[in-house]
Amino acid sequence: MSETVIQTPLVGEEPVGAPRPEVTIVVPVRDERAQVRRVLDALGAELDRLGRSWEALLVYDGVAGKVWETGLELQAESDQQVRTIALHKRFGDAVCLTSAFQHARGAVILTSPQYVQVDLRELGRLFERLDDGAHLVTSWRNPRVDARLNRLQSAAFNWLLRWLVGSPFHDLNCRLRLIRRELLEELTIYGSMSRFLPAIAQHQGYRVDEVALRHVQELGGPSLFAPGAYMRRGLDILGLMFLTKFTHKPLRFFGALGGLSMGLGGLLAAIQVGQWATSPLFLLGVLFFVLGVQIVCIGLVGEIIIFTQARNVREYKIERIHD
Amino acid sequence: MVIPVFDEEQSLPQLQRQIAEHVGGMGIPWEVVYVDDHSADGSYRVLLDLHAADPHVRVVRLRRNFGQTAALAAGFETSRGAIVVTMDADLQNDPADVPALVAELQRGHDLVVGWRRRRRDGFWLRRLPSRLANRLIAAFTGAHVHDTGCTLKAFRRELLENLPIYAEQHRFLPVLAMARGARISELEVNHRPRLFGRSKYGLSRAVRVLGDLLTVKMIASFSRAPLRYFALLATPFLLATLLLALEVAWRLGTPSLRDNWGQAALLTFMLLSMACAYLLMLGLLAELAIKVSRLHRPDSLPLRSVPRP
Repeated sequence: MSETVIQTPLVGEEPVGAPRPEVTIVVPVRDERAQVRRVLDALGAELDRLGRSWEALLVYDGVAGKVWETGLELQAESDQQVRTIALHKRFGDAVCLTSAFQHARGAVILTSPQYVQVDLRELGRLFERLDDGAHLVTSWRNPRVDARLNRLQSAAFNWLLRWLVGSPFHDLNCRLRLIRRELLEELTIYGSMSRFLPAIAQHQGYRVDEVALRHVQELGGPSLFAPGAYMRRGLDILGLMFLTKFTHKPLRFFGALGGLSMGLGGLLAAIQVGQWATSPLFLLGVLFFVLGVQIVCIGLVGEIIIFTQARNVREYKIERIHD
Repeated sequence: MVIPVFDEEQSLPQLQRQIAEHVGGMGIPWEVVYVDDHSADGSYRVLLDLHAADPHVRVVRLRRNFGQTAALAAGFETSRGAIVVTMDADLQNDPADVPALVAELQRGHDLVVGWRRRRRDGFWLRRLPSRLANRLIAAFTGAHVHDTGCTLKAFRRELLENLPIYAEQHRFLPVLAMARGARISELEVNHRPRLFGRSKYGLSRAVRVLGDLLTVKMIASFSRAPLRYFALLATPFLLATLLLALEVAWRLGTPSLRDNWGQAALLTFMLLSMACAYLLMLGLLAELAIKVSRLHRPDSLPLRSVPRP
């Protein structure tokens, strides 16, 4: 294994003594299709036009080959304005964002997908909201120009989020976002959280604005995903709903579900009690009842976990202290 | 150097001499932490003598016999070096290999694992089970290390600070380290036949290793998204449930629901669908446990490394 180690800087060298830039562009690179150069050129030009100083961090999420070489070229050309970070295997967006943040020097983090999703000449409108006091500005591809199937999927996803989590946002799949430094300092991001960051941040009391930007044709946008992908999205939303609403009161969630199951089961069994030999419904009732008890018990274990660990997860975020 | 000790009074003086010669000869500041896992023989006394004779020697004694992994963890906690090398006290590992391990570590790795290519142990009781275990670990976790059971390993301190070490998992340290993105290297080391005392390993360990393997696999790969993990477990149940639901719907309203097959399908359908629901709930509980843990604090981020070409 040792002979495969490449001798390159793992993280591009941090400029010492140079003034801190205003904006840090973070681009997680996920696969070979990434158009790092195009994204960076467009964003850089627009930021220059807006008169905001910037630096860029390219995070390679276990991606090697041509794209990685492009990153190294960009880094070499730019005299420390562009730096690369390489993770040796795939860790996902959340880890990309957090490790980029550890090296970011800007007061604002601008995250961008690895290809161009929206008309970047409208970037200034995101910054207007930020200057107005928003902690996070997320973009919304509107009006969209891609296939109807894509739009339908996207709408279903965002509608489900609105229904279960109460997220008011229209397009959490558009990853062009402006994030204030303080927000990333205060939130711990892991797993699939980065996609849902606007919803989570708003739930924690930060001001999150959404800006509609003109959608451009995305390259070879995939339209249908494997069934597993839909299942994962659904699970992510379920997990998010549970964690945002019930982290500090798991017994409410499990108790309600378990109680429902117990009540239903008890009722069924009671109705069918005389006919247990002939009716499967009696058995169904008993099963529901037992399941209900189990779920309530899960809730109890949840309460124990929270009771012992509540210090680690504060339920509140302090905005300001006046001394 | 961290060395767990259990009933090795005869080996210790010689071991210390060799360590002083090879590790001391590297020309960098060093210490040896002997962790006496509450030996029943005179090991502790021997260690105290060594401690009195050489300021580099530090001794930790555990209150009772806690096992090798615990002894290692105690040693890590006590040690102060930027590089930590672990090794057995039975003289089967050769302190002469330590400089090479350290050099390899300084070449840009976070963990260097020794590989006892020519093992001097019995084949049936020691080498064969060990080889099987390593193959299994490699197949299951993708950590291709020849000899995970070799205690001779060199760690960078930053790596140790964030590795959870408990139960009997010292064998899996490379796996856990890899899950966190550590750069691992392997180096052939010398292995010598046992001179004193007797081996503390036996076949019963192999069974426990299997159990731990499952745990480690789960922790290493799914702690980021436990709900997905449980959903994955539930998938076969879910598929079976859907099939049975079709079967039941087909028979619904006809007398065939009452025959043996119909009853069996109905019953299994009910049970499996509940198992699915139950697993999903457990997944949510696991999400909760992960959220409140310190696992995803920024200080436990994976180490950065270069992608494989």
